[in-house]
Amino acid sequence: MARNDGDAPDRPASARGRIAATVGVIGELLITAGVLMALFVVYSLWWTNVLADREAKRQSGQVRENWAQKGPGALDTKDGIGFLHVPAMRNGEVLVKGGTGSDILNEGVAGFYRTPVKAAMPWDKQGNFTLAAHRDGHGARFHNIDKIKTGDAVVFETRDVWYVYKVYAELKQTSKYNVDVIDQVPKESGKTKPGRYLTLTTCTPVYTSDYRYIVWAELERTEQVDSARTEPKELR
Amino acid sequence: MYGWIWRRLPGNAWVRALISLVLVLAIVYALFQYVFPWAEPLLPFNDVTVDNGMAVSR
Repeated sequence: MARNDGDAPDRPASARGRIAATVGVIGELLITAGVLMALFVVYSLWWTNVLADREAKRQSGQVRENWAQKGPGALDTKDGIGFLHVPAMRNGEVLVKGGTGSDILNEGVAGFYRTPVKAAMPWDKQGNFTLAAHRDGHGARFHNIDKIKTGDAVVFETRDVWYVYKVYAELKQTSKYNVDVIDQVPKESGKTKPGRYLTLTTCTPVYTSDYRYIVWAELERTEQVDSARTEPKELR
Repeated sequence: MYGWIWRRLPGNAWVRALISLVLVLAIVYALFQYVFPWAEPLLPFNDVTVDNGMAVSR
């Protein structure tokens, strides 16, 4: 409709018209770039959550179904080993799977570390059960990690056992290269002896990945799951 | 640029507006489905583990 922008092919454009046309194209490109960035924010903070929530719900349902069908026996660690409940984060249950690659974490689950330090499992005699999940986007399972305070409960649910942990230390900001925080005996949290620990890691500050936020917890007790799957008192 | 595209669309203003809308939706779909999932790991916004970079430096 706009006929006066100087790029009509049927007559040679004046110098002035060419400059105006060039400025116009640059302006449109800048607007386009702005719209693209806005769309990327929408994608990151909304659409990835939609996809991850859907995927996590489907996989969680599968795990629950498996648990309900199979009798007692060896634990199936292929799909997911259990559910993490952190009342302080107020986000319900989080499925836990093996590995911390983006292919796993983008499914809206938490992953236990395989590299650089292999996580111990909650049922191991001792060790550190180390987990990672997204702070924003892709389900944002650890978005409210900053709401966790010392003394809060972290409960891990497997098919047969509730593992009740108590938070004893937080590290609000550390380098992403600080692999020591997921050591089997996390000395940075003040522990020197082997024990049954749990470590949550995610990125901080929110919406960026400059640093890592760490929460350490120690096993307080375990409870056998009953037939009604009655939750331990920390979750009620 | 957009004026140039607009003038090359067929039909009257309503038809052109409809085609424009379809084009915009197709582009947004392509972005959400292909471009953004590809670009996301290349951007430093969503790394949550503490092993980043270690594989390279070891």
